[in-house]
Amino acid sequence: MCLAGTGWRWCLATPRRLSHDPGAWLVNEASIIGLLEATVSFGALLYLAALGEMITEKAGILNLGVEGMMAMGAVTGFVVALHTGNPWVALAGAVAAGAAVALLHGLFTVVMGADQVVSGLSLTILGIGLAAYLGKGSVGRPSGAELSSVDWGPLSDVPWFGPVLFQQSPFVYLAVVAGVVAWFVLGRTRLGLALRAAGESASTADAAGHSVAGLRLGAVATGGALAGTSGAYLTLSLTPQWAEGIVAGRGWIAVALVIFGAWRPGRVALGALLFGLTLALKTRLQTFGVDFSPILLSMLPYLLTVGVLVAISIRARNRPSPAPAALGIAYRREER
Amino acid sequence: MSRPVLARRDQVLRGGQPLAFGVGLLVALVVGVVLLMGSGHDPIRVYERMFDASLGGSRAWSVTLNRAVPLGLAGLAVAVAGSMGLWNIGAEGQIMAGAIGATWVARIGEGWPGPVLVPAMLAAAVVGGGLLALGPAVARARIGVNEIITTLMLNEVALRLVQWLIHGRWKDPDSHGFPLAPMLPEQGRLPNLFERAHVGVVLAGVVIALFGLAASRTAWGYELRVAGSSGATARYAGISLQRKILTVLVLSGGVAGLAGGVELTGASDRITEGLSNGFGFAGIIVAALALMRPSGVAAVALLFGAVQIGGQSIQTMGVSSSVSTILQALILFGAIAAGVFSRYRVEMVSGDAAEAVA
Repeated sequence: MCLAGTGWRWCLATPRRLSHDPGAWLVNEASIIGLLEATVSFGALLYLAALGEMITEKAGILNLGVEGMMAMGAVTGFVVALHTGNPWVALAGAVAAGAAVALLHGLFTVVMGADQVVSGLSLTILGIGLAAYLGKGSVGRPSGAELSSVDWGPLSDVPWFGPVLFQQSPFVYLAVVAGVVAWFVLGRTRLGLALRAAGESASTADAAGHSVAGLRLGAVATGGALAGTSGAYLTLSLTPQWAEGIVAGRGWIAVALVIFGAWRPGRVALGALLFGLTLALKTRLQTFGVDFSPILLSMLPYLLTVGVLVAISIRARNRPSPAPAALGIAYRREER
Repeated sequence: MSRPVLARRDQVLRGGQPLAFGVGLLVALVVGVVLLMGSGHDPIRVYERMFDASLGGSRAWSVTLNRAVPLGLAGLAVAVAGSMGLWNIGAEGQIMAGAIGATWVARIGEGWPGPVLVPAMLAAAVVGGGLLALGPAVARARIGVNEIITTLMLNEVALRLVQWLIHGRWKDPDSHGFPLAPMLPEQGRLPNLFERAHVGVVLAGVVIALFGLAASRTAWGYELRVAGSSGATARYAGISLQRKILTVLVLSGGVAGLAGGVELTGASDRITEGLSNGFGFAGIIVAALALMRPSGVAAVALLFGAVQIGGQSIQTMGVSSSVSTILQALILFGAIAAGVFSRYRVEMVSGDAAEAVA
């Protein structure tokens, strides 16, 4: 995989870099299928959270609390699963927990007009702390209520496509559905138009008779619900366990993805797969016999996002930035 | 039909910020009581232990002061940028970059005497933090790239850089395969002041005081505030915005880097991936509570140091140390709310009146 045009001289898997020891050559059908399968799983994990952040930002609110909301979703999902034994109830709990802490951010930024950066980062700290508090008694325990992969009948047996696309966790299909719904609602409905108006020009949306606060709170809660779902994916399916620090910076990747994907559901999905590939490669580089540090590889999503931000700003001299114009700006009708 | 709205007060309530801070603390303590009772602990005893461990006696104070050093310097880093209306969310990474710089000097200057080695390490820490901020600074100054996201992203990059170094090049050959850097040499540590407190406490105090003076008493600080409040005014006054943005963000990174250097030489044996255990993010809360003023940063950092040290001490009582993390976030949320009410009051307006105001 050579990343042409990004300025990085890192060709990650050119034969030149492959180990000369033939025993290290483990590139076979099974390992590549495993890589693609993991790419899709990680991609969906990132996509759920990134989609939520994208919806939030589309309405004009920056929520840097993704890491904290994911932690809350992860711990709530796990603890509820532990006590009810029902993974679907657990998922509902995670969704509610994510939305609830997100609404705290909404209360402070939308209702009180507080600084979105400060409130969001505090939410990250609060969410991580609360999650550690709530999950203290559950560390290392098996949940006993994992969501097993969906069986699509004959589709699951198709070579290559079966294992990569049709033997995945329900969360993967949930991510796909959420992406399509978000694309449709944001781009094709009046509600989506109103939401985008609240993010581009709140006073215009207000003048058109929409409740800016209502739209923004709704978007923030939806974002939290999706981040909570992403967190639940971790503890109910991907690594069915709870441990402090389980989110491990993936909330920040979600924030990055929104920019990387230029605030568009489709592009964010492509970005999620790309960043998901870097996560999937991280544990597999050595088995593929590639002599490249997996730690350096894991820097890639962040560096790529910085690169994209720079590119957006350079292009912005000629055409408008894809970022919502009113992103990060509080709206008070009385001070218009 | 009437609904509540927030109406701006004619005058901001006097003493608003200390008051807001007090309200925040109160909110945090009350929620803390609920959490502690929820996990079956006696809140009075837990708070008593937290107080004793952090502020009860000279030994406790020395530990708290040590903890306040990285918090205060990180808070100052955020405040320096914040006084110009810029957000440096990258203190966490710049702390790591500072520690990398200091460790690098310690490795090449193994035989140097302490009075040479330690200042050189700290200088390298400043350079390291400044270098990590240089990219976002140039991008912001030259092409207007939002510094919030770029500095945030580089946090994760710097963290992984440390991981990469201690898994590879800097791995101690005697660590039995564990990814650990070698211990710092004895002469590469900050000397002690009293009890546990190290000289970094004085250093941080001096740096914060210098910035406080520079911000309030010099033309540089004045230009900073002008540039922060209005770019157009600054340009009319002949202030080069580009250069200001560049210097302020790099300086901010350097101060955060210094925090990493002081934490490494004062409170840690070696560079680890957990060296900046959220100091950079806590620094943002500290700066926000201090309204970006250096004098306030020192006071808030001391309180946060006490909360963190107190939080560690209650682990022996079986209380999760996460309680102190929660308290820190709640202090800020409580203070924001109180701050809003010092500037606004709730008014009930009828539906018609609301339309008229609009």
